[in-house]
Amino acid sequence: MSIFEYNGSALVAMVGKNCFAIASDRRLGVQLQTIATDFQRIYQIHDRLFIGISGLATDAQTLYQRLVFRHKLYELREERDMKPETFASLVSALLYEKRFGPYFCQPVIAGLGDDDKPFICTMDAIGAKELAKDFVVAGSASESLYGACEAMFKPDMEPEELFETVSQALQASVDRDCLSGWGGHVYVVTPTEVKERILKGRMD
Amino acid sequence: MECVFGLVGNGFSILVADTSAVHSILVHKSNEDKIMVLDSHKLIAASGESGDRVQFTEFIQKNVSLYQFRNGIPLTTAAAANFTRGELATALRKSPYMVNILMAGFDKETGPSLYYLDYIATLHKVDKAAFGLVVAPPNFVIKIVDKDGAREHAWRETVKHETTAPPSA
Amino acid sequence: MKLDLSGLESTVPHFGTSDGLSHGFPTAPSFDLPITGDFDGFQKEAIQMVKPAKGTTTLAFIFKEGVMVAADSRASMGGYISSQSVKKIIEINPHMLGTMAGGAADCQFWHRNLGIKCRLHELANKRRISVTGASKLLANILYSYRGMGLSVGTMIAGWDETGPGLYYVDSEGGRLKGTRFSVGSGSPYAYGVLDSGYRFDMSVEEAAELARRAIYHATFRDGASGGVASVYHVGPTGWTKMSGDDVGELHYKYYPVTPSTVEQEMGEVSGA
Repeated sequence: MSIFEYNGSALVAMVGKNCFAIASDRRLGVQLQTIATDFQRIYQIHDRLFIGISGLATDAQTLYQRLVFRHKLYELREERDMKPETFASLVSALLYEKRFGPYFCQPVIAGLGDDDKPFICTMDAIGAKELAKDFVVAGSASESLYGACEAMFKPDMEPEELFETVSQALQASVDRDCLSGWGGHVYVVTPTEVKERILKGRMD
Repeated sequence: MECVFGLVGNGFSILVADTSAVHSILVHKSNEDKIMVLDSHKLIAASGESGDRVQFTEFIQKNVSLYQFRNGIPLTTAAAANFTRGELATALRKSPYMVNILMAGFDKETGPSLYYLDYIATLHKVDKAAFGLVVAPPNFVIKIVDKDGAREHAWRETVKHETTAPPSA
Repeated sequence: MKLDLSGLESTVPHFGTSDGLSHGFPTAPSFDLPITGDFDGFQKEAIQMVKPAKGTTTLAFIFKEGVMVAADSRASMGGYISSQSVKKIIEINPHMLGTMAGGAADCQFWHRNLGIKCRLHELANKRRISVTGASKLLANILYSYRGMGLSVGTMIAGWDETGPGLYYVDSEGGRLKGTRFSVGSGSPYAYGVLDSGYRFDMSVEEAAELARRAIYHATFRDGASGGVASVYHVGPTGWTKMSGDDVGELHYKYYPVTPSTVEQEMGEVSGA
């Protein structure tokens, strides 16, 4: 089994009309054994910027701690929040730093830019950015997530419809994956508010 | 098989560990204490390679004590757990310690807590957790604890024999 | 021991004479050999291809009122869930059940084969075969194929003239008589619940609930088990299916949650 699938994960981010949603599963496992079902894979960087980190949980935690550190330094020096594009470059730089001994993670970044334009992107373990206009997926359930998102995505969805679509895509996908699921975690971000919801899901 | 587990109850958390030191088929010792006292309200239990286990837990113990000497206040359980993770994560890509850790503690503000920390430095706050050997079949323990959840248990139901707590370190 | 190939025989009567007209038609059924130079490598690959149903939880135990048999229903290939509705409890005849863990095809085929052999025994001897006998039939067949890559881990449970019977049989040649077994990747978890909750003098309802709970807990902890928890009971009059519960619903029956939405506080970075 691949080291990227050691802990199991499912991550998806989707763009709507002046909003975005980012969702993950809640399982922390060691291969087939489930350790906990209240794990956090999505982290909030500031009011309108989120990062979800799929892959090896230990590296996700290390990476997140380093990102928070760098973001705080930036905030102190610049006295403003980072733009999503800038943050993506920071993540990419930190990942490439470990080119020959990578973090076994695939991050998903989602944020709202200055003009409320949603931004989503993903990258591989060594920081190759992949920008998308519609949706990005990552984790051990990524194949089924591609299928579900490809079928369910519509452009310019309103926040509530976006939430429904992301949740349905996530649940449908993790039901075909042994290593992810056990509940879901969804954030819907609009220019004025952040809505966090915990999803009930199949616990097997 | 080495067995270490723990759980959080109503107002307390406990750690349990077996006491055998086994090398291949030989039992070298049957009274090895794998639970270490960090301070008056913190315990650390570890399983894994015996050398690493002792070296690493002692290192953590001494550093937690050092912090208390320097600053006059003890670390919270969360802080100690995060410190331990930091050390384990740094070592992971240099010379890894093969140790799985459970840290239990009681803080005035947050009450009892239990932290799961495996040898690759995955940290998570849990209600119950168990470790067997690193590359062993999954163990039975998690299930028994799961059956009706631990939190509702009272002291007496969970612990049959009480011994006095060790003096504060 | 001679290799028993009788399981591969066609049930259709074989016509034709061996007078040269039927060249190319083998008179005795046998396995075709693959056209390959590297037979060992081919066999290794082939074994991997026919082993999808690796992750499983099955259990069975004897108690006062008979035998309780239960299983999950998930089939997985690596991390992928290929089905959530597999029938892992095989009804061999009205008084006997078999459980399925390991290779799906191997289990299905040899249980069906066992069913045929049991029926033939019944017709020849005018009485039902004992569980001991049936499990021995299966064990002998599996033993004759030992080392050839069969993957079967099964329990034969039933009621015969001597009362309830339970055997564990596997493709490594093992055959164990017992009162409590669990097989598959989720078995350690199932054993945990089973061992702590088992009493011989349970009622049928209590036993069914214990079996269901053991399967549910295994599906919770084991990523390769899930789907539906089916529970069967075998008593003096034969088996009955007690229940088939979707564990997705079972979880919220055991651990109800009250719906609540958490409003995110703005501007706070959550800690790791």
